[in-house]
This record gives sequence, structure tokens and C-alpha cells, in this order.
Amino acid sequence: MIEITIHGRGGQGGVTLAKLIATAHFLKGQYAQAFGVYAAERSGAPLQAFVRIDSKEITIHNQVRTPDHLIVLDRTLISPGILVGHKPEGWILLNTSDDPLKFAEMFPGRCVASVDATSIAVEHKLGTRTVPIVNTTLLGAVGRMMDLSWQEVNDAIAVLKFGGANVSAARVAFESVQSMTLAGHAELNNPAVAANHVAGILDPDVGGPPKIRTGNWATRQPHRRRMQAPCSHACPAGNDVPGFVAAVSEGNHDEAMRILLETTPLPGVCGRVCPAPCMDACNRSEFDEPVQVRDLERFAAEKGQRPVPTMPSREERIAIVGSGPAGLSCAYQLGRLGYRVKVFDAGFEPGGLLRTGIPEYRLPHSVLDDEIDYIRQHGVEFEGEQFIDRERLLLLTREFDAIFVAAGLQQMRGLDLGSACGDAVIQGIDFLERAQEGSITCSGQRVVVVGGGNTAIDSARSALRLGAIRVTILYRRTHVEMPAIQEEIVDALEEGVELRELVLPKRAAPGKAGLTLTCSRMRLGDPDATGRRSPVPITGADAEFDIDCDLVILALGQSADLSILPEGAEVNKDAELLGLTGAPVILGGDLAKNEGTVAHAIGNGRRGALHIHRTLTGEDLFPPATEPIATREFIHTHLFDHASARHAPVVSPDRRRRSFVEVREGFAKSSSQAPAIQEAKRCFSCGMCTECDRCVEYCPEGILLHRHDGQYEFNYDYCKGCGVCASQCPRGVVYMTEL
Amino acid sequence: MSIALTTADQPCEHILRAGNTNCAGCGMSLGLQLLEQGLDGARPTLAIPACCGIVTAGAFPTSGYGVPVAATTFASSAAVATGLSTIAELNEETEPVICWAGDGGTYDIGLATLSAAAERNENIIYICYDNEIYGNTGGQRSSATPEGVRTTTTPKGKCEVKKDIMRIMTAHRIPYAATLSIAHREDFLQKIRTAAATRGFRFLLLLSPCPTGWKSEPDESVDLIEYAVRCGLFPLYEVFDGERYRVNVRPDGTPLEEYTSRQRRYTSADVDLGHLQSEILKQWRLLDGLCNAFPAEGKMAGRAPKRN
Amino acid sequence: MARELITGNGAAGYVLAQAGEANRSARGCCCGAYPITPQTEIIEYLRGFEFAKGRVVPVESEHSAMAVCIGASLGGARAFTASSANGLAYMAENVFAAGYFRLPIVMIAVNRTLGPPWNIWADQGDSLALRDAAWVQFYVESHQELVDTILMAFRIAEDSRVMLPVMVCMDGFIVSHTQMVVDLPEQQQVDAYLPTCSIPHRLNVDRPATVGGLAWPRETEHMRHEIQQAMERVPAVLEEARGEFEQVFGRRPHGVMSAEYVDEAETVVVASNTIARTVRNVIEQRRVGGEAIGLVSAKLFRPFPRDAIRAALHDKRRVAVLDRNHSPGSGGIFWQEIAATLQGCDVEVLQDYVVGLGGGDVTPDVVNRIIDDLVKRETSAEPVWEEVTA
Repeated sequence: MIEITIHGRGGQGGVTLAKLIATAHFLKGQYAQAFGVYAAERSGAPLQAFVRIDSKEITIHNQVRTPDHLIVLDRTLISPGILVGHKPEGWILLNTSDDPLKFAEMFPGRCVASVDATSIAVEHKLGTRTVPIVNTTLLGAVGRMMDLSWQEVNDAIAVLKFGGANVSAARVAFESVQSMTLAGHAELNNPAVAANHVAGILDPDVGGPPKIRTGNWATRQPHRRRMQAPCSHACPAGNDVPGFVAAVSEGNHDEAMRILLETTPLPGVCGRVCPAPCMDACNRSEFDEPVQVRDLERFAAEKGQRPVPTMPSREERIAIVGSGPAGLSCAYQLGRLGYRVKVFDAGFEPGGLLRTGIPEYRLPHSVLDDEIDYIRQHGVEFEGEQFIDRERLLLLTREFDAIFVAAGLQQMRGLDLGSACGDAVIQGIDFLERAQEGSITCSGQRVVVVGGGNTAIDSARSALRLGAIRVTILYRRTHVEMPAIQEEIVDALEEGVELRELVLPKRAAPGKAGLTLTCSRMRLGDPDATGRRSPVPITGADAEFDIDCDLVILALGQSADLSILPEGAEVNKDAELLGLTGAPVILGGDLAKNEGTVAHAIGNGRRGALHIHRTLTGEDLFPPATEPIATREFIHTHLFDHASARHAPVVSPDRRRRSFVEVREGFAKSSSQAPAIQEAKRCFSCGMCTECDRCVEYCPEGILLHRHDGQYEFNYDYCKGCGVCASQCPRGVVYMTEL
Repeated sequence: MSIALTTADQPCEHILRAGNTNCAGCGMSLGLQLLEQGLDGARPTLAIPACCGIVTAGAFPTSGYGVPVAATTFASSAAVATGLSTIAELNEETEPVICWAGDGGTYDIGLATLSAAAERNENIIYICYDNEIYGNTGGQRSSATPEGVRTTTTPKGKCEVKKDIMRIMTAHRIPYAATLSIAHREDFLQKIRTAAATRGFRFLLLLSPCPTGWKSEPDESVDLIEYAVRCGLFPLYEVFDGERYRVNVRPDGTPLEEYTSRQRRYTSADVDLGHLQSEILKQWRLLDGLCNAFPAEGKMAGRAPKRN
Repeated sequence: MARELITGNGAAGYVLAQAGEANRSARGCCCGAYPITPQTEIIEYLRGFEFAKGRVVPVESEHSAMAVCIGASLGGARAFTASSANGLAYMAENVFAAGYFRLPIVMIAVNRTLGPPWNIWADQGDSLALRDAAWVQFYVESHQELVDTILMAFRIAEDSRVMLPVMVCMDGFIVSHTQMVVDLPEQQQVDAYLPTCSIPHRLNVDRPATVGGLAWPRETEHMRHEIQQAMERVPAVLEEARGEFEQVFGRRPHGVMSAEYVDEAETVVVASNTIARTVRNVIEQRRVGGEAIGLVSAKLFRPFPRDAIRAALHDKRRVAVLDRNHSPGSGGIFWQEIAATLQGCDVEVLQDYVVGLGGGDVTPDVVNRIIDDLVKRETSAEPVWEEVTA
């Protein structure tokens, strides 16, 4: 007689496998017996089934205690314990993707066979994802082990009325099972004798907790992770967006400020002028509206107290060329690290374009001064009206221990409109600077601005404020392609700026009064390298038209003035100048990488600082490798309620169009913090635990503990691996792994 | 957020203990956890008839429940609970006596007992965790099985419509009747609190996913109920004294397929979703009519039981 | 003590109420009540009784009547009910549950024919069908025995050495509806006689057991064996209960049985319920005529008092068993038990007589015919159907 014990889990089909094996032998004219252990088995609980095969009638009705062969349906049930009673000369068939050799230590001297029935069953869509049914698949492998022909296996499956996928799965297993006798000596382990004490119904000490370790049922386990929120991932400055937003939502402005100041010295600036790619990446965008991160950053900067600054504690001196956002960011981070930092700038006051290029109605100087002052408090020194050229730079490499060059983009792109224009054509950057100085007026003028970036919009709106009677922006693509911040475009239009799309000026000539600007009409052609559709001139009778104006402002972008660099200079991947003998020189900001926004500059400056620190000390303070990004598919949006965004107040177009008063008033303007807090509460906190405790509340087993120290603890002894905690985690923190 | 309820340095004694024998992702397990949260620390005595809920306890002498449980005969939970609550009342004990019964013990074999206890307005909270099959015996039809779905005794799909137990129970004019969704925790907890604060017979119906019987993924149990409520299949409502109605959550246009497509008991049968959808609309016409004609307003004290 | 002219049902209801009331200083009492002829007057009486701490729940079926008793008993209260015939059959599932739960519930079974056919008269087949339900069973021959046995039933059931339900069975109509003169106890006597009810495994939050849940074969067999051991302790506990009964009430009810004139008799007749009274009358007349005939009035059926039966009958020449009950395919149920008990004894003739099924009037003539038949027999035969073969 052959006796087989099958170890499986409720729902896997162990009893059916026993019946299949018995049927295959019955069809060969043998006597067979198949049965399971019927108890209160539940899906996932370990249980056994038995088969006996003999050439004569079987009269034994007891469970199999000393099996010839063992079959293990679930790889998590493979343990030395199954050997109890197993006859050393029999075989063990394991459902596993591992090679039999892997079990040399566990089953020495035994004949071990393995087949990856789970994968085969999943491929053939047998059972559910969580509980694949592997019985028919395994019959293929058993058939091979028992020297059945494929036809005999096939017949047994047919008798039990299983369909096509079962047959092909069994065939794969029949072909792929591999077996070998492992090295070592096998001994018979005799079954243990049951314990003695038996409780009675009247006993006082009954009702204790169950002894079943249901963790043994699990095929999956939950874990927790921190993912990077898409907003943080999108933030060029590297801000912890959900972190500071969460602090705002709790009314903890100081904490919000502290979090922001980890990565940026300029939250007040970014809270006003950042194009906020974080908001484009916000997982709430498709759900309703993005969280108003920019307004919240400004709110945090206005409400939060800054921590006490650190003073220089190191001997190393660092020079920084340029006091725009990249230089400021680099100086700040180095200051925080204890370096002695000196910043050189050609301008009289630090700030670069932040001061000269952004009008006060968007960024009041007081805000900039305040944030620069905090940088100074770290011992950072400024030296204004210092033009650093190539020679000066080489001198600096001998005076300082490292130099960070963030001189910005000093070359402005022009447009050849002919020679007869005189003062009536001006660069936007210059216009804005003169507007700041108060040395230009547009009173009574018709102004044309050429370009689609922020400088164009700023110039147009400034011209309006300086008394222009008409301001027209000409842009060769459409407003959709404009690189300017979309809200700013809307604000400009509200104020009365006219936007003419698909227009390119060709030439200017003196007109009856002022200039006549002749323009080409354009259409959108194929996308260019940036992915934007490129403008193509229209041909034909109507292809050109004239605009009369008094002033043309060119805002077509800038490029780097590389004359500061040694001739033939090369840079490495860290933007470090090669071939110098003195201190290392690192290029930064727009000079190194024309990314164009304050936030990019801040991020670049911080990375420059960390690079310098690493170069000087060997210590690597760069953040660890990027965590997985909590993109939309990780967020269970159906667990959130819809809520439209709260917006900070804005001065009405009528009031603001003739004044440099700040247009956006910010959440802090309101007497109540409620709108900001409500807006902050809209944040999904993608990929970050907010201790909402939904996982705890929804654990069907009650085995997830949220300790007072804030730690979460899964009790894997009992976790059945159902995955409800992960499915109910709104933000992708809890996730499952296969065991 | 409810830190006070869920933060602890040591596991507390749950109504449903770790090591119970329920399947992974069982709706009943989730129901018991939410029941505990809604009871705010009260320790009930349970009367559980033959159903998965009694196998939950596992083998004597240990127990999967952290509260005392009477394992009653199949049809008897409401009567055994009558005895328990009677003695509790006589001894002025206020901890609730709760029947925790499956649909078999409620809709079918236990219906006469349930009806009688409701008619007597016994001081019992009766919770039916309705998984729409005889789950404990491996998934046979019950009168709670929805039309169309496949069970082991309706291999071609069930021909008959699901019994509306809420209408039967509210016809008893019991002080409080309500439906419970494991996907709507605040609503669930509020209803447990309302039930606990009411005297007399309280009937709560919980649609309880059975991954094994419904052929669904265990980790989708909560979401399935979310869809069942959103598509209108399982209305969340309360009825006071059998005559004042309140709907708690209205359907939001979620398609019925969100619910049915995740369960092989539906997808493997030839279910007419259009027909089911029209039944859902009918159900809501009735419910809305009742709500409009007999709205629940103000403080809702149920009819307290009289005894002689 | 009041001497009253009262029916069996009236007396039973009266004593049940007193017993329930006697637990008012503890967790009170409860009765699940459902009417069925011939028991109905008992629960009517109880529904009308004003308990200081108790409730009679008018349920919708016998099944629930016992379920309410189970719940109340699991709640630690004294619980009791009454039923008959098809009511007992319908209740059966919960009768077993009460026994296996080890709950000291007391039930009055007013014996009535299990239908069909529709027959409301006396027949022990209804309660004997529940003989394996882990209940102690008493069969009482008179109104006074009924009253006294009910009181003792609570003591025995609630005794920590027993902790089993007790059924007290009487003949339908012949006792239940017949007025007789009975000594009924006063409440203070009952209070003195019955300790308050204490149930060790009652449900409470400090012992969160699942009572009645799943158990493996080993535990199940252990629980059954504990019931057997508890059953075996019943005769001794009954003797104590009789002794204290005599102290409180001044009379001594029957114990496991009443063996009369057996020592000097060659021939003994075994009977139960009121038939035993008829047999006693006949035997006493025939003893006047010089016949040495003894009587065993059987009272305790579960546990079956094998020692007492063997002691009374082991050396008799002829024993007749009168059964107002019948197990189809076998014979009278008392006879089966006695036959098993007397295995290996020297009894030459052990003859079963099936009499009075469906409430047939078992008259002295019937009993005389049976004794005449018995004394002529030299060997035992298959059970004799007295009415059919007469």
C-alpha cells in the first residue's frame, strides 16, 4: 500500500488533489482512498488530506500517520515538521520555485521534487490572486512522480470535470517537475504523543486566548514605507511639501517654517513667485483641484518663527559669486554648515534678479530683505558692486577654500527690428530694473511687449502701472505654450493687458507718432525639442499687419555670459571647473543650468553647497536615494471627500492696475487662520503617514498597534495577510509583500 | 482621527481576538472590530447561533472572543439572548446583550424566534452579518442570496429575489433598525452608539463580504461595500419605531459593475445587471417615499419596552 | 404548610413559582413559557404570578421556551419551564443543548402521546425520547410526589456535584388535570430548603469563554464523561436532598425508587407514574390472599439507578415491567434498562408488558391479568401488548 499526506491551506484544493490522485489510480484498476481532515478549516488555515492506494481492498479508516510520500501545496508550509512519520524511502513533492537542492539541509537524504505550481496556476488563472488553486497543476507533477502516463493524468482530470486551463496547467507541471535524492542520511521521526490535560465545560480557567498562530496562514505581509510625494519630487528646491503643509494644517506654523528652512532660505519669495510645479504634480489635480501649495508656503513664511541661526564654526572660507537665488541658497546652506561665506555681487544690494527683475507688486523688497537678513545672521557676508571677471575669479581661488559661481544670465536675447528705433526699443530686464529705480515712465504711451515668459508679463504689468494707455503682449505661440506662470497671465489680462497670440514682430519704423511695428501672423507647426509646437509664419496676403506704438519691450530670454570662465574651460558632471590649481570652483544657478525659476536656483544652490561640503570634508549630506514616488495609482482617492480649493485674497484689478501694491495678499492677510488650515487639510499627504489610523481601525484581526511613541507594530504572529490595511491606507504608506 | 481609541502600548482585549479562525478579509471580522469601536468600551455578552461567527471562536477551551459568548442552537439566538437580557435587566446590569448572527440564522431558520423577540421588544441588539450565503457550510443559497448569483445550491444562479429583512423587522415597530456599512466607519459607529443608547429591540443589518463565498479578493472587502453603498445596492438608513425613516448616504452614480465585477459569484453567473439596476431604482423609490412621508426628525427616542 | 385540593398542574405551577421566588436574593428566575395540552395551566399560573425578581417570557414556541431558559441560566438565574408531547419533540434540540451546557434548568414534562395520531392523553414516550439528552429524569406516581420531587429537583440540578437539568414527569390528565388533596409548602419553607442558585460557568466578562463552541473529539469525549460522572453522583445527592427535605417539611419523599414487599417476594412488578399506584393497590389485595408479590415503583430514570434495581431484583424468580411507553422495534423502555441491569442475575422470567399507550386506562383488572400471566411463565418472552393480545 502507498500512503500519501498532502499539506495545504484551506481553499487551495488539497482534498481535491487527493481525489485526483485516487481517481488516477482507480482508473488503472487499483483500490484507492482519498479524504481530508474535516474541521473548522477556513480559507488559508493549514490542513491535511490523505491518499491510500493498494492492489487489494483498503480497510484502514484512520488518518495517515506514516506516509510514504508528502506533497506540500504551499511553500510557506515547507518545514522540517512535515517529516514526522515520513518514510525515508518515499519522496517529498514541494510547490516552490526553488530547486530541490535548496532543501539539502531541511530534508537530508530524502528524495525531493519541486514544481512551481503557484506560478503555473496563476498563469492559467486558476483561483484568485490571493489564493491560487494549485490542485490540478500539482496532479501533473504527482503523475510524473508516480510513473503515471500523461494520458492517465489527463483522464483523472476529466473524470473530476475540470476544464481546459486545468489540463494545460497540469501538463506544464508534468513536464517541468524535477526531483533528486539529496545528500545525507534520512531517519524516521516518530509521531509525538498528544498532551494530557483536557478542560471541562465547568472549569474556571477556560476562555483564554486562542493558541492558533494565524500568522502561519498568511501568504502576504503588510509593511509600512515612506514614499516621496509627487509634489516634493516635482519641487526643484527639494522642499518637503506634504511635511510643511501638514504642519500648517495643525496650526503649527513654526514647524512649517522649520521644515521649509531645511531646504530653502526663501520661502517668502517662493510663496509669491514660484510657478509651483508641485501644484501641477499634485495628486489632487485630477480629483478636484490641486492644493494651493504656493499660498500655503507664503502663509508659513509669514506666520512661522525662524529658528535661531547657527554661526560659523569652521575655518574654511567660501566665496560665492552672484547673490541671486542660487548664490543665496548656497550661501545659506554653507552658513548653516558652519562655513565662513562671502558673497560678491555686481549690484549694490544682494538679491540679483529677485530685486531688480521682479516687480514689487509681486515681490515686495521688504520680504526679500527679511529673508536675506536671516541668511546674513548665519555669518554670511555680502560685498556689493564687485564685478568678478576671469582674473578676479582666479584670485579668489587662492584666497578661498571653494568658490561657487552663480552669476546668472547676463546676455539678453535681442530681435533685429531694423536700425531706426532708438530708445523706443528696450530689453525687459533693463526696463524692469529701471522701473524699480523709478527712472522710467510710460505715461500716455502705447507699449508693446514681445515674449511669453515671466519677464514679459512683469514688463507689461509694470508698464501699465507706469501710466501706459495701452499694453499689448505679442507672443509667437498661444497662451497655452507661454512659460509664464498661468495665474500671472490671467492677472495681467484682468488688469487690461492685451495678449495677441501667434504674432512675431518683423521690423519697426518711425510712424506718424512713435513707431510702426510690422508683425507676421504665425500658426503652430510640429513640436520642437521642448515638446512645444513651434510657430510657423503664415504666407499669403494677410500674413502681415502693423501695430502703432511708443515703446517696444523685448523679453525674449537671457543666456549666460561665459567670459568669466578661463578660456577653454571644461566642467565635470558636478558642474566643477576642471584644470584649475587653486580652490575648487563650482558653477551654479542659471549660469550652469538654465532652468529659469527661483526654485530651481534654490535647489541648485543647495546641491552646490552640499557638493562643496563633500569636497572639503568627505561627508555626504545629500539626501538618500529617491524613495518611490507616490503617484496617483498609490493613492486611494475614493477614501477622500471632494473639496474645492481655498484661495488667498487678491486685490481687485481696478485697485491694482495703477499701483505697485502687492496683488496677492496671502492667507495671512485674513484675520482667521481657518482658510489656510482648511486648505492645508486638503493635502492627501501622498506617501506619508499622517497617523490617521485607518489601518488600525480597519485591521480585521485587531493586530495592528499604534503605540504612544508613534510607532506602528504589526503582530505577524497573527496577521493573516488579508491586505485590508493596505487597501484602506489612503496614501500608499501601508503595502503588502509576498512571503 | 481618533487617537484615543486606537493608540495603545499593549494590545487591548478585543471583542474579536487575534488567533480567531475567520478567513482573511472576512467582513464579519471587520464588523466586530467596528462594533467594538462603537461600543466605546462597553463589554457585551454575545449570543451567537450556528454560523461562521461561532466557529470564529475556535476550539474549546480557548476562545476567539474576548467577551462571554453563548453558542446557541441555530434558530435560538434571539431567545437565548432574551433569557440573558432578562436576567441582566433583573439585576440592573447595563452591558448590552448582542445577538451576532448570520443571514441563515436571521432570514431563515431563526426568523420566527427573531420575530417573536422583536415583537416582545426584548432589550437586545440583534446584528445580522449578512454574507448572503450559508458560509459555514461552504456557500449554499439562503433567502438573503441576491437574485442571479451563483452558489453551490444555485449552480445556474439564484432565481428568486433577496428577502428584504429590513422591511420585515421595521414592520415589528421596533425602536431602532438600521443598516451598517463597514466602509462607512463614522456612520457605523454612530449607529452602534444610537443602538446602545436605545432600550428595547434593536436590529442592525451588516452587509458582510465573504471573500471565500463571494470569490473576491480579501483586500477588497471594504471597498466592495463602499461600492455597494455608492451604487445604491445597499442603502444606508435608519428606522425609528418602524415609522420614522432617515437615509444616511445616497447613491452617487457609481456603476453597479464596480461592485459585481469584483466577485466571481456574479461574474461566473449570467446576471442581468440591467434588471438588478432597475430593482435598485425600485428600492430607492420605496425608501424615498417612506422618508418623505415619514421623516425622522429631532431626537429619536425609541419605544421603550413594557414588561409584565 | 397548607393542605389543598388541587390539580397536578396547579400544584406544579405553585411550586415552580415558589422555587423561582426563593432565588430572589440572588440573580432571580426566568421561565420561557409556551402552552401545550395538558401542560398549559402550569405556564398560565406562572404568567399570573407576581415575582419579586423574575420574569415569565411568553415565547412563540417550545424551542424558544427552552432557549430562554438556557439564556437565563447562562445569565446565572434559576430557570424552569413545562411542556408535553410534540412540544417536547419540537423543543428537543434545545433540551439536548441545556443538558450538554450543564445548565440546572427544571422542566415539568406532563406526559402525553407524541402525535400523530392526534392524542392528548398520558404516554411516557415523549419524555423518554429525551432520555439521552443529559437530563436527570424523575417519573412521579402522585400529586404529593410531584410537589416534593420538583423541590428536590432544584436542589439536585443546582448541586455543584451535579449541575445538570432535571425533568420531572407526570401523567397527563391523570395527574395534571385531576384534583387531589396535597400538602403545599409555604414560601419560607421553600426559602429554607433551596439554597440560592449558583452556576459556576455562567457568562460574565471576567471569564470570556465561548460556552458551547467548537471542541475537538478529546474535549468532547471528556465533557461527555464528566456528564456521566455527574449523573453517577445523583443518587447520593438525592439521598441528601431527601434527608433535608424531611427536616424542613417533616415527610420523606421517595428516593431513586420505592421497593415495597420485595424482600419476601418471588415475583416483583415494576411500574412508574400512576400505574405504580394501581399496581400497589392490586399487590396489597393479592398479598391478603397470600401471594408474595413485591412492587418497585420506579422514579429516577436518568441516571438509571442500576445498583438499587439490581439489589431489589437480582434474586427474584419473576419480574414484570409495565411500560406506558414503547420503542418501536424493541419494547418498553423501562424494560430495556432493567434487562440490561439484570444481566448475569438469576431472574428466570423478566417479562415486559406494554400497557396504556395513548392514555388507555390501566385498571386493576389489567394489572391482575398481567400478574396472572406472569406467574404462569417459566421463561421470558417478547414484550406482551396487553390491550392488543387480551
